[in-house]
Amino acid sequence: MSHPQAILVVVVLAPGVVFGVLASLWLLGWTVGERFLSWITSLTFSACAFGITALAWTVASTSNVTIAFGNWFVVGDYHFPLVLMADRLSLPFLGLTVVLSGLIGQFSATYLHREPGFLRFFLLLHLFSFGSLLAFAAGSFDLLAAGWEIVGITSVLLIGFFVLRPAPVENGLRVFGVYRACDIGLLVGVFALHHWAGTASFDRGFPVLTSTRAVIVCLLLLLAASGKAAQVPFSGWLPRAMEGPTPSSAIFYGAISIHAGAYLLLRAQPLLARSVLASSLVILIGLTTAIHGAIVGRASADAKTSLAYATLAQVGIVFVEIGLGWKWIAVAHILGNATVRTMQFLRAPSMLHDYHQMHSAFGGEFSGGRKQAEELLPERVQLWLYRWAFDRGHLDTILDRWVIDPLAQVSAYFARIDRIEMPWTTIRPRDVAPISLRGTAGQRGD
Amino acid sequence: MSVPQWVFRGPFLTAVVVGVPWLAAVLVTIYRRQLRIVACIAVLASITASAVLLGEAPKGESLYQALMLLFSCLTFGALLVLPRRDCGTGTIGGILFLLGSTLLAYSTGNLVVLLAAWTLSVMPFLWSGWLRARSWRPVVGLLLSSLALALAIGLILARSHVSSISALRGQNPGGLAAFGLLVVAVIFRKGICPAHAWVADAAEGGPAILTALLLNGHFGALVAAKLIVPLFPRTGNLFPILSYLAIATAVYVAIRALAENSPRRLLAFVALSESACILGGLESRTSEGIAGALVHWFVVSISTVALFGILRLLEVRFGENLTASRHFGLAEHAPRLAVSFAIFGLALVGLPGTLGFCSQDLLIQGTLASHPLTGLLLPIATAINAVSIFRLFTRLFLGKRRTGFTVMADALPRERWILAFGILFIVLGGLFPNAIVIQRSADANIVEQATRKSADLEPFGRID
Repeated sequence: MSHPQAILVVVVLAPGVVFGVLASLWLLGWTVGERFLSWITSLTFSACAFGITALAWTVASTSNVTIAFGNWFVVGDYHFPLVLMADRLSLPFLGLTVVLSGLIGQFSATYLHREPGFLRFFLLLHLFSFGSLLAFAAGSFDLLAAGWEIVGITSVLLIGFFVLRPAPVENGLRVFGVYRACDIGLLVGVFALHHWAGTASFDRGFPVLTSTRAVIVCLLLLLAASGKAAQVPFSGWLPRAMEGPTPSSAIFYGAISIHAGAYLLLRAQPLLARSVLASSLVILIGLTTAIHGAIVGRASADAKTSLAYATLAQVGIVFVEIGLGWKWIAVAHILGNATVRTMQFLRAPSMLHDYHQMHSAFGGEFSGGRKQAEELLPERVQLWLYRWAFDRGHLDTILDRWVIDPLAQVSAYFARIDRIEMPWTTIRPRDVAPISLRGTAGQRGD
Repeated sequence: MSVPQWVFRGPFLTAVVVGVPWLAAVLVTIYRRQLRIVACIAVLASITASAVLLGEAPKGESLYQALMLLFSCLTFGALLVLPRRDCGTGTIGGILFLLGSTLLAYSTGNLVVLLAAWTLSVMPFLWSGWLRARSWRPVVGLLLSSLALALAIGLILARSHVSSISALRGQNPGGLAAFGLLVVAVIFRKGICPAHAWVADAAEGGPAILTALLLNGHFGALVAAKLIVPLFPRTGNLFPILSYLAIATAVYVAIRALAENSPRRLLAFVALSESACILGGLESRTSEGIAGALVHWFVVSISTVALFGILRLLEVRFGENLTASRHFGLAEHAPRLAVSFAIFGLALVGLPGTLGFCSQDLLIQGTLASHPLTGLLLPIATAINAVSIFRLFTRLFLGKRRTGFTVMADALPRERWILAFGILFIVLGGLFPNAIVIQRSADANIVEQATRKSADLEPFGRID
């Protein structure tokens, strides 16, 4: 194993090892202190940042860094390759993950000081970083899917970070449902690649498919990417995700997790380029999301939701860029958007303080108010648009009405069949009450 | 002093594996003291003998020895997790009797012995009346499955006059009628739709941990792997029926679980859905699907026994009125039980880093390759199950600050160690899956060859 290869392995595994050790110690009854957690987090991500710098030097001066560990498991013709790869596409994402995770760790050490879930937050931060690094450094879609799933579950657990309140927990459940539904696209897409191309690896070039098959795989990957990136029609989960602590909102929905969908599409770019239908759909979804995010964000009452929609609008534009084949513009856009949004999210709790400082700096003349573009519209249209934006484009309502309610009704119907049988089969009766899958009211992150 | 060689021979070890738990069951029924200790010693003897049997089994023929070791270890874990209030003579005796019967079913190569083991495994439930507490469906389900198996084996014996399974391999003994009866037996025992309701009734009305062990004997899958596939190779056209039924069951009960509020019933539905995936994989005729099913057998068994065990511990500590219709916030008082529940639950539905991810991956690859359209239902069922498990987790452990309850009721040391061991197996198995997958892959090749042979042969109708 060469030095760059060893560095790549250490960078990817380090947060996972820290998570594993700390979680095992906790399970066995030993809880580490805040100071030690903060120190180990700084150390881990600083070391990783140095490693990424060295890797960047190698990739820029020579070639991609790839390391194959053989197959994770093999059955018959099917194999799960364990290949890590740092190339010009993955390296910016790896760097972004390491730098922002370290930054969030530092910020959270103060922000979450004496919070009951301090250890839990840091454990999940390390696990999330490991999942992200695994997804971005994966040399195959199989491994990417593994990292992708880890990012999903940590995201959900951090949305429900404040475990003593029902709303964050219920919103976490909702996000989990959307993630799992959309991840079916990734799983089936990976299967399709194995079935048609014999491999889902891309470390030695992308698998070759016929145009029809390429369209099918692209559409499946697009489903997964849209779910993770909160694109229309799955955008409804994004404001719900704002229930989590601000640092996790910053790194997940301002920076890394929300751009993971775009990364997946960037990886699948060779396939997308061969499919006009899929590329057009990517552009359409991106454009719709950008408009949706821009309008809905203007009617959001709280800072975090407003920022989340601002991020969403930019991710929509990134999708458009990917659909148009402007790969490196999309990468630059992602890096800029992720960095700025993280900073904005982290400053969001101090927004009033910042405003007053700015007000003073302007000598009390700073009003911040200016004419809004929508004021040019007729009043009736403005009112309709406001209602539409206030209900976040009715996306949640549509999803409830067309997906969740029918599923709940089918489930309740099956339960009713059980209930009909019950008098005939029961020796001692009991009550069966249907449940609501929508959760409790007023949980949309407001 | 050297150990005599006959100690390491198969028949003796099998006798130890099966006989010691039965003897211990009789002992605890008569002696009625130190029940848990006596039971643990007996199960440890079974574990040791099973491990030796597994070590001596040739590669590719170690499936049943591995399953024997798994079930012995599961029983040991169940005994340690069993709350003190459940440690009655009936429960401990029932667990030991079930262990002996299940291991006999795994180890036998004789039809009559298999029938006896199958019937004996349900005896503790029929004898004690546990399952009659609320509904008669479990009793009827188990009796009908036993009756169907008895008729099938009777028919085979009447036509072929041979009771050895290896001697009957590939001969379609008993014809289509025997095949149909075996399928009926599998449907009733496994809880395949439309005979699925008894599983939830049993989980709700019976003793939680013992019922989980009964369900995780996976007798239905055992009969499919041991009898249906190797004995009936000319049923190529009929195999998919069982596969479709299994996949339909996986989806049906997954959707049904969404509207369920009773934690025990909900867990039973999810466990049933995931074990139906095992049957779907076994019938997929691909080495990936079959290997995935065999690995998933391990995952489902460990996870569901652990989940039912944790649920029972919660019932004992926080009252038996737990429901998934509101939040209980138990994680504050039982954080390690909460984490264990989350890990086992998510492993069951394929969380990366656990063995469940590998088994789900293989299952999806296998079933989609053999049945592209119906196979698509498998990841959908798993996604729905994931939502149900996560909903149960959030409702039981999160979402509320419990006031007026100051006791820390987390896992006791013995519970903590056994749960940690289970998590270690699931996680290490997930990080280094090849150790398990290679073994199951070799077993899968044998099953696959048998099913491939069936596809090449003429179907029943044309031969008979």
